[in-house]
Amino acid sequence: MSALMLIPRNVCVAILVAYRTIVSPLYGDVCRYYPSCSSYTLQAIQQHGAVRGIWMGARRILRCHPWAAGGVDDIPVPRRAMALTRLGFVTESRLDR
Amino acid sequence: MPDILGLLMWPIKWVLEAILAGAHFGLEALGMDPASGLVWVLSIASLTLVVRTAMIPLTVRQILSSRKALEVAPEIKKIQDKYRGKKDQFSREAMQRETMEAYRKAGTNPLASCLPLLVQMPIFFGLVTVLQTANRGDAGVGFMGVSLAEQFQQASLFDAVPLNMTMQHGFEQGNIAVIATSIVMTLIMVATQFYTQLQIMSKNQTPAMKESPMYKQQRIILYVIPVFLLISAWAFPIATMFYWLVSNIYTLIQQLIIISKLPNPGSDAALAREARMARKRQRQGLPAESSETTTTAVEETPVIVNTQRQQPKRKSTKAQRDGGPK
Repeated sequence: MSALMLIPRNVCVAILVAYRTIVSPLYGDVCRYYPSCSSYTLQAIQQHGAVRGIWMGARRILRCHPWAAGGVDDIPVPRRAMALTRLGFVTESRLDR
Repeated sequence: MPDILGLLMWPIKWVLEAILAGAHFGLEALGMDPASGLVWVLSIASLTLVVRTAMIPLTVRQILSSRKALEVAPEIKKIQDKYRGKKDQFSREAMQRETMEAYRKAGTNPLASCLPLLVQMPIFFGLVTVLQTANRGDAGVGFMGVSLAEQFQQASLFDAVPLNMTMQHGFEQGNIAVIATSIVMTLIMVATQFYTQLQIMSKNQTPAMKESPMYKQQRIILYVIPVFLLISAWAFPIATMFYWLVSNIYTLIQQLIIISKLPNPGSDAALAREARMARKRQRQGLPAESSETTTTAVEETPVIVNTQRQQPKRKSTKAQRDGGPK
């Protein structure tokens, strides 16, 4: 995938990473799921792109409320996993497995 | 594009205005001067109390949930022991996974989800806009008509601190009373926020929670909060800050009650509570509580489980293999 195509998701990644380092710690661990909603959304955007990722993340946030059972809830497995940098940005290479 | 945000905020603003005007009317009926700043401050304080009290069901649900989480405590303890001393990312992740799964299986979860927080945001945003409209002397969407708005616009606490001023206005106009009030309010807010957070962190967290990287981040954030509050005091009118102030005090008291009555299982506060209960039982001459309901019971002996996979061993001996058919 070309670097240009990866811009939207990397912009989202930057926003989410900033949120997760600055805002999240303000109120501590509250999520009823593992991974937490922001982590889930981050992974979804990294692996499935900005549009599908935001959609998945939004549905997850709606699933996470005091009446939900919680537990482990991972993102849908992508067909081919994207390679990530240490900070979480998506690079052009893909992980072959 | 139609004003979708305004449409969504309309019912929230209507309810907020109804509560605010209602409280104002009530205080007037009690014989207080309706135009005084004090009545408006008290109206805002009552609005805070109503909003926060309406959210108690969410809090109570959470508390009941953590109480139920006590039943899972031994299992959680087992998971914690399994990963004791392992601080690498993968072990931590695996531990969180197992913990969450254990809570799900038990049908309980001590975590509140972010809904209680998300609910408060539009309410605060609604309040800011309601007070802004009133500060301009404009009619709101419901009960805050022009006459009430104008009265609010003119309201001044003890005839010295106009409620519609921000700290910035205070500095611009050299109004010492406004500057002093906003600084004192910020200090009280910093103090309450600090104390609440410190209470949660030092008393209501289990040793495992304290090991997590989140805990360290929380400590750093503790020192960032005052800066945030100072900026908001600079930008928001004193009337709005009063909502925040009362809300902070409400949280503090609620937290103190939770810590003393229903602490997080396994935390220092829970141990302190058990000690208190034990002393009380002793005074009453009752036998000690059975150990199955206490969390101290699981504290004593750390069970060290070998998590490494056992290497499979050949069942047959070398002689058998050599002698066997080819």
